[in-house]
Amino acid sequence: MWNKRESEAASYSPVPSSPGSPVSGGGTERASIGASVAIVGNVTGAEDLTVLGRLEGKIDVPQHNVTIGRTARVQADIHAKSVSVEGEVRGNLFAGEQILIRKTATMLGNLTAPRVGLEDGCSFKGSVDMEMRAENQRATAPQAQRPQETPAKPPAPSLPTPVKLETAPARP
Amino acid sequence: MDWSTSLWGARPRPAESAPPAHRSLVLKALLDSLRRFPRPAVLDLGAPLGSNLDLLRALSCRVSIADLHRLLAFEPPERGVRESFPAQLERLLPAPPPGGFAAVLSWDLFNYLRRDQIQALTARLAPTLEAGAQVLAFVWTRPTIPCAPLRYRMLDDENVVGEGAREPERPAPLYKQPDFARMMPGFAVSRSYLLRNGIQEYLFANGMT
Repeated sequence: MWNKRESEAASYSPVPSSPGSPVSGGGTERASIGASVAIVGNVTGAEDLTVLGRLEGKIDVPQHNVTIGRTARVQADIHAKSVSVEGEVRGNLFAGEQILIRKTATMLGNLTAPRVGLEDGCSFKGSVDMEMRAENQRATAPQAQRPQETPAKPPAPSLPTPVKLETAPARP
Repeated sequence: MDWSTSLWGARPRPAESAPPAHRSLVLKALLDSLRRFPRPAVLDLGAPLGSNLDLLRALSCRVSIADLHRLLAFEPPERGVRESFPAQLERLLPAPPPGGFAAVLSWDLFNYLRRDQIQALTARLAPTLEAGAQVLAFVWTRPTIPCAPLRYRMLDDENVVGEGAREPERPAPLYKQPDFARMMPGFAVSRSYLLRNGIQEYLFANGMT
């Protein structure tokens, strides 16, 4: 799909862009794949990663954060602690903590994380799987937008009484 | 019941320029039905909106999103490939989850599809739905409609606001219930309400004919 005449590598460990520089999140290093860099292969590492260029393959940094910058075009599955997408990604994202799809993003693939945020204006096709159940989310999800917390309204008389989630019967 | 508030909702407008919200009885019926399932799968064919995702997440829904109108425009086939509409749907719609979708939110998409396209979409969706699955649709009854689908934001489980440019406008196809009976074989209208803003709300049920 993309021009594969550019640099290719079976596996790539990105070099930290500014070794030792403090990064938000507690002094960990952050590696960067520049906007002019194209990689075909797998990327693994033990530090946060920012992708600004092209990447086709797989990103596997399960303990760290991945940022797909606005100029990036990535065709890869990504496994990370958290993923933020501002550019274009075709692939499935798996995050232990959260995934954020920014408004500038084009995201074609499935998202799996306990928390997923979609900014208005993003382009997205895929499924969202947040494995936490609603009961657990009450402790962690943002306060806004939860229907349980909207002001009570008189129910329409013709409609059935809503069944509380905790007591919902199993699907036949 | 006060008819005006029943249709337009009791919520004040958040800002003078903000589009008006409307109370959607079919949305409430749909979401109430989803509460009966432990992990219902929902296919949203509208624009991806984080607040809608949050609301569906609170119902423990598994959500798939395909902003179909935008995808048809901006995700063309590979260069040189001519693709039929059913083939485009095959490429652009997300794979169904095990057990199929329990609900489809098509919002006002049908107003922007030809009859044969609605027929193809319905035929593509039908095998991905579980028995009794429901399809929500807003159909304009006015002669002109916004030139592109609006983004429908669920304010809560019964109030919806349609966001986006309302001008310029284009002629509306003015589909009526008998049209849907022909275009959507295997589906039956389970609820329908005509709203003051010119939208006829439909809730179609799969496998009910």
